[in-house]
Amino acid sequence: MAAPLDVSPVGAEAIPEAVTTGLSGQRIEGRSLGQIAWLRLRRDKVAMASAVFVIFLILVAILGPFLVQNPDTYHSNLLNPTLLSPNGAFGGISLAHPFGVEPQTGRDVLSRIVNGARYSLIIGFLATALAVIIGVFFGLIAGYFGGWVDSLIARAMDVFLAFPLLVFAIALVGVLPTNASFFGISLAGNTLRIGLLIFIIGFFSWPYMGRIIRGQVLSLREREFVDAARSIGARGPYILFRELLPNLWGPILVYATLLIPTNILFEAALSFLGVGIIPPTPSWGDMLSDAVTNGYYYIDPMYMFIPGMAIFLTVMAFNLFGDGLRDALDPRTR
Amino acid sequence: MNRRKSLGLVALGATAALAVAACGSSPSTAKTTSAFDEAITKVVNPSNAKTNGTLVFDAAVTPDSTDYDNTYYAFMWDFVRLYSMPLMTYKSCPGTCGEQLVPDLATGPGVVSDNGLEWTYHIQPDVKFQNGVTVTSEDVKYGIERTFAKNILPNGPTYYQVLLAPQNATCAASMASGGNTGCYPGPYVDPSVNEMGLNAITTPNSTTIVFHLAHPFSDFNYVVAIPQSTPVLPSWDTGAHGGANFQLDPISTGPYEFQSYTLNKQLVLVRNPNWNPATDPQAKQLVNKIIVNWNMNQNTVDQDQIAGYADMDIQGLGVQTAAKDKILTTPSLKADADDAINGFLRFAYINEQVIPNVHCREAIEYAANKVTLQDAYGGSIIGGQIATTVMPPNILGYKSFDLYNAVSDPTGDIAAAKQQLSLCGKPNGFTTGLAYRSDRPQDVLAAQALEAALNQVGIKTVLSGYPTGTYYSNYAGVPAYVHSHDLGISMGGWGADWPDGYGFLDELSNGNSIAPAGNTNISEINDPTINSLFAEAANDNNAASRLAIWPQIDKDIMAQAAILPIVYQKVLLYRNPNVTNVYMDDYYGMYNYAVLGLK
Repeated sequence: MAAPLDVSPVGAEAIPEAVTTGLSGQRIEGRSLGQIAWLRLRRDKVAMASAVFVIFLILVAILGPFLVQNPDTYHSNLLNPTLLSPNGAFGGISLAHPFGVEPQTGRDVLSRIVNGARYSLIIGFLATALAVIIGVFFGLIAGYFGGWVDSLIARAMDVFLAFPLLVFAIALVGVLPTNASFFGISLAGNTLRIGLLIFIIGFFSWPYMGRIIRGQVLSLREREFVDAARSIGARGPYILFRELLPNLWGPILVYATLLIPTNILFEAALSFLGVGIIPPTPSWGDMLSDAVTNGYYYIDPMYMFIPGMAIFLTVMAFNLFGDGLRDALDPRTR
Repeated sequence: MNRRKSLGLVALGATAALAVAACGSSPSTAKTTSAFDEAITKVVNPSNAKTNGTLVFDAAVTPDSTDYDNTYYAFMWDFVRLYSMPLMTYKSCPGTCGEQLVPDLATGPGVVSDNGLEWTYHIQPDVKFQNGVTVTSEDVKYGIERTFAKNILPNGPTYYQVLLAPQNATCAASMASGGNTGCYPGPYVDPSVNEMGLNAITTPNSTTIVFHLAHPFSDFNYVVAIPQSTPVLPSWDTGAHGGANFQLDPISTGPYEFQSYTLNKQLVLVRNPNWNPATDPQAKQLVNKIIVNWNMNQNTVDQDQIAGYADMDIQGLGVQTAAKDKILTTPSLKADADDAINGFLRFAYINEQVIPNVHCREAIEYAANKVTLQDAYGGSIIGGQIATTVMPPNILGYKSFDLYNAVSDPTGDIAAAKQQLSLCGKPNGFTTGLAYRSDRPQDVLAAQALEAALNQVGIKTVLSGYPTGTYYSNYAGVPAYVHSHDLGISMGGWGADWPDGYGFLDELSNGNSIAPAGNTNISEINDPTINSLFAEAANDNNAASRLAIWPQIDKDIMAQAAILPIVYQKVLLYRNPNVTNVYMDDYYGMYNYAVLGLK
C-alpha cells in the first residue's frame, strides 16, 4: 500500500546524519503531506478567520437555541398599533431584542436567526453528506471501470445537471402529503419536510462531486501503486476503496466544503419560494420572503438586512474556508 | 393626457359644488379638500359636470371575464354597471344606503305569486342597446339562458340553475343526485326552435318576464340584482363577439360601451350614445373615456394612484404595506383615503366532525389571541376590527354580541379555555391539524398566531399549508380529506353575494351546503335548528321578519363554536382628489364605479 498522504518518512530510507541533526544542530522533523497542508492552512489568515466563523456558527446552531428566548413568543406591545412596524430605531433594536423584532408579530429576530441557523446548517450539512456519498461512489466506479459503465454514469450525471431542479423541488414539495412513512419510519410536518429538503438537495447535487472524483480517478488509476496492487491480485472493490479512495480525501474535503454553502443557499431559496421549512419554525429564507411579500422592506429595512446578512456571511465563510483548504491541499491551483 | 385638459374644468366643478351648497345641502361640500374616512358616509366632490377627461383605473389582476354573465369578482360586479342594466340593482348612495335594492331595467321589484313560486317583473319599454335596438323581455331571458352554458361561460354564480324549476323530469331526477343530465344546456348547444329556450322563464309580452321557481325563495330580488340578468341581444352573441368572445365586446345597455379591449391588457370604454339617463338613474355618464390597465404590479398600482397617474385601483382591496405607510404618515395623502369595512369576514372554521365535543371547540374560541390574529391581517387599519359574530356589521340583520369575550379580553381568556378543556375531558389539551393557504402571507401569519395562542393551553396544532388554487377543491373543501388528515381548524374568508343574512350565512352553515368537494360549510354545521331557520326564511316573503332570523342563526353558529371570527376586514382605499362623486358603497365594499366623474 502506498498512498502518498500516508507516507511516513521515518525509517523509510537511510537518513544522513547532517539532515537529521540539521545545520544548526537542530533535528529537522519529517512532515507528512497532511502536516504540510495544515501548516499552509494555518498561515492563510482569511481561511483561518472563516474557519473560526464556521465553528462559531456550528456552536450557535447547537447551543444557541437554549440561550435565546422563545422564537414563537409574540410581542404585540412593541409594535406601532397602526403601522405594525416595530417601535424604535432600526427595527426595534433594544437590549432585550438585540436584532429587533419582527413587524406585524413582534417576535424576537435574534432568536429566529439563531433557530434558523440550526435548520440551515442541518440541511446544508446532511444534504452535502448525501451528495458526497452518492457522488464519490459513482465517480469512483465511472472513473475506474471506464467503458460503458463510465458512459452510462456520465450521461446520468448530465441528465441530473440539466434537470430543472428548482421547478422539480417546488412541484415535489407541493404534491407530497403532510405525513408519510418511509421504510417503516413515519414522518410528519416539519420533520418530513426537512427530510425531503435534504433528499432533494442532496440527490440532485451529487453529479458535481461525481464528476470531480471521476476525473481524479481517471489519472490515479494509471499510477504505479494501482498497477502494483493489481499485479499482486487485488480486485475492483479493494482497489477502489483501499487504494484510490484514500488518495481522494483532499478533493472530497474541498468540494464538500464548497458544496455546503450552495446547499444552504438552495434551502434559503426554497424557503423563500414557500416550499421550504413550514412556519412557525424559523428559516432565513422564509424571513427574507416575508420581508418581500409582506412589504416589510419598506417599513423596516433592518428586518430584511439581518437574515440577508446571515446568509451572506455563512455562505462567504464556507466558500473562503473551502478555497483556503484547496490552496493548502493542492498549492498548484493557487 | 386628457387629464391636462380636465384641469381647466376644476373651476367649473367648484362652481357646481358651490351651487349645490347654495341650494341648501351641507356647506362642507364647498370645501376643496376632503378628510380621512369622509367617503365612507358621504359623497366626496359631488358634481354632475360632464368633462372630456379620461378616468383611469389600474388593476393588479386580470378579470375572470368582462362578460357580465360570466364574472364572479366583486369589483367586476361593481364595474360592469358601466355597460349593463340588470333587472334590479343597488341604489347609488353612500354607506348602508347603497345596500337598498332598486329597480334598474325593471319598473319595480318582482311580484311574487301566492305559492311563492312565480316572480314577475315588468321592464321599462324604452331602454335601448348601444346599437339602438329596443330591449325586450326576450333579451333578458336570453341573457340568463347564456349563464346555463357552463362549458363556455364557467365563472358566474349558479343561482338560476339551483332555484329555477328543472327543465324536465330527467333533469329534476338528476339534480336530486347532484348531476345535471337533461337540464337546459344553454343557447349554444341546442339552438333548434322547438327545444329552444329555458322553460322556467316565460315572456308573456315584450315587457314582462316571469320566473318559475322549484321552491319558494324570498330573496329572489337579490338574485336578479346580480349582473347576470342584463339583457343580451341574441344576434350580437354570434360570430366574432359571440360565446366566450362576447367579453371582448359585450353589448351595452349602460352609460358606456366598449371601444377596444386587448384581452387582459387594456380596456377602453367610451360614451354609449343610445343611453338615456332618465331610464338609468343609478349610473352617470360624466367622462369621455374610461381606461382600465390590467395585470400590473400591486406596488406600481399603489404608486400610480399616489402620483396621480391612475385615478383608482379597480380591485378595491386597498393599498399594500408600503403605500399604507406613506398615506397614513402624510396628512395631505391621508385626507384622500378611507379606511372602510369591505364586508368580508376573516375567520377560522372549526370542524364539528373532527372536534366533535363543543367544549373543545369553545376552548379554541377562548384561547385564541384576537390581537395577534388581527395583526396578522394587517392590524386595525388594513386588517379590520376584531370580529365577534359571523355576520359583519354591514350585513342587513347584523346584531352585535360577544359570546367569548373577544372584545373585553382580546388577548385570549386562558382560564376560561382551560375550564372548557376540562369539561371536554382533555384538561391537558389535544392535537389537531390547521389548514391554511401557504401562498397568502396573511393566512400564513394568522395560522402561526393561532398556533402560538392555542399552544398556551396545550392545544397543539400541526400546520398544513396548501395552494390557494386547490384549497377548496382538493383539501379544506373536501370533507373526506379533512377527516382523514384530522384538519380540525381551517383558515378562511367569506363575503356575501348579497347583503343579507341568507347571502352571508347559507353557504357557511346550512346543512345542505355541505358538498363532497368545493365545500364552503367547512365546519360541517348540520344543525336541525339552523336548517329549519333557513327553510323558514326562504318561505317568508316579509322582509322585516326575515331580518329577525339571521341573528338567531349567527348566535347558534357561535354557540356551537363552529366558527372563530377574526376580523371584519377593512381596506385602506385611496381616492384621487380629482375624481368626483366618490363614496364607499357598502354593498360592493369599495367605491361605486357607476357614478364617477372628473373635476
